[in-house]
Amino acid sequence: MSGSNERPPYLGFGLGLRSKHYNEVLDGEPRVDWFEVLSENYMDAGGQPRHILNQIAERFPVVMHGVSLSIASTAELDIAYLTRLKHLADEIQPKWISDHLCWTGVHGINLHDLLPFPYTREALDHIADRVCRVQEFLDRRIALENVSTYVTFNESEMTEWEFISELAERADCWLLFDVNNVYVSAFNHGYDAKAFIDGIPAERVIQLHVAGHDHMGTHIIDTHDHQICDDVWDLYRYTLERIGPVSTMIERDDCIPPLQELVAELDIARNIAADTLAARAGKAAAE
Amino acid sequence: MTTLAEFQAKLQQAIVDGDNQVLDQIASSPREEKSTLLGVYQNAYVSRLFDALAEDYEKLAALLGDQQFDVVARHYITANPSRSPNLRWFGQAFPEFLRAISPYCESSVLAELATLESALNDVFDAEDAPRLELQELAEIAPEHWPDLSFESHPAVRRFDHGTNAVEIWRALDADSTLPEPADLDEPINLIAFRPEFTARFREMSPAEATIWDAAAAGARFADICELLEAYDNTDDAAPAAAGFLRGWIEAGFLTKATLPASRQSTTS
Repeated sequence: MSGSNERPPYLGFGLGLRSKHYNEVLDGEPRVDWFEVLSENYMDAGGQPRHILNQIAERFPVVMHGVSLSIASTAELDIAYLTRLKHLADEIQPKWISDHLCWTGVHGINLHDLLPFPYTREALDHIADRVCRVQEFLDRRIALENVSTYVTFNESEMTEWEFISELAERADCWLLFDVNNVYVSAFNHGYDAKAFIDGIPAERVIQLHVAGHDHMGTHIIDTHDHQICDDVWDLYRYTLERIGPVSTMIERDDCIPPLQELVAELDIARNIAADTLAARAGKAAAE
Repeated sequence: MTTLAEFQAKLQQAIVDGDNQVLDQIASSPREEKSTLLGVYQNAYVSRLFDALAEDYEKLAALLGDQQFDVVARHYITANPSRSPNLRWFGQAFPEFLRAISPYCESSVLAELATLESALNDVFDAEDAPRLELQELAEIAPEHWPDLSFESHPAVRRFDHGTNAVEIWRALDADSTLPEPADLDEPINLIAFRPEFTARFREMSPAEATIWDAAAAGARFADICELLEAYDNTDDAAPAAAGFLRGWIEAGFLTKATLPASRQSTTS
């Protein structure tokens, strides 16, 4: 991998780019520092979607976020997919490329979901090797995101955060830390979300996701169709206390409100970050 | 101990086929039954594919109504698991499915409405490519014209209808009274295309459709003229063929005109 190994820049507070907001983004001057674009929405597309993406990439920093890398799959790496991903990256020059620590299918089938797996040494060896190969192909480090999970497996040999930490170290990749996903998984599996946050390597986290979810009483489903709840904001605060300033974005994939509503929600993140990071700096100075 | 590959095959089987053998490997949860939690993945799988189909074929879904579309979509999901990393392509085989599988094939209007929606979706975000310009043709010496061949722009789709699916599409688009599905006396020839960034379609006369199909398949201009001569029963169809060609170029249907290697060539 000959590409830059430098830590990507801090971008501030961003939103996921959604087609519903194209006009508002291009016609106005939304208080959004950067946009995350879903790689698959543009990698095969020309016409209006690609034209608008190019315009937005000229005006805002963008990062590419994929859902189909399937890094944990035992299927062969999809070189055609990686080639298209690389072409898109060459064109829009994202600040970084991310995807999820999960698999999406085997035997030629794609389930279009972010699927869990047992945290075993076998999985670690397999995925670390694939991350290295992907990074070599893309000629850059990628960021991997922790996913929301609804089941865990008897065969797991370590916690999720132990697995992520060792993977990031061995593959020398970045992390995209999804605060909401930790909240969801911690509730579903009955562990302390703060233990997860304490357990990941802070220096490798280059981006945070915050999002809403659907609480079913006995379990939580990561739907990205609600406002962010107070508990997730509390965890966001805790995350910043632990790892310091990190580019943050709100993910909203369903029941998408007008852009201004998301910009207002982004202001909550800005305020929390300002207060938390000031207190953190004060504490550090006092020490 | 199960290997990662074996585990993934089992979980996939549970999600796609509902075979829950993988439950043995799932750890007990503090608050909920394992089968319910596995069900989150099983439900999400169908729901995500269903939503993709409903979005791509919103007029067909409106024509069928929620209940019938649900049945058709679930049948398709079972018969055609996604094989692309991009959900955008999941519904590509839906028109063919409706054309081939009973009972849907018994009402041709369903497949034809789906074909129209699929064509419009395809041309909307088809890959970009240069458009052939009239000026480029003007620069070609007349003696070379018979050997010219053409390449269709990626944002063009040609298809024929034997039913009033277009009329139904227009009624659904305008939210006006739906006509009853019916067969047409004569089939119509259609082409979907993308001027600027909007997907459109228009009808082609049988003669225009015939020579377009030949041109898009790589026929030389001389062959196109010959086809048109036979069609129109005339001795010289070159002016008429050139007229069609001009219309195609102005509408952005073509990306390239090429001469054989032995001749001077032009590409856009």
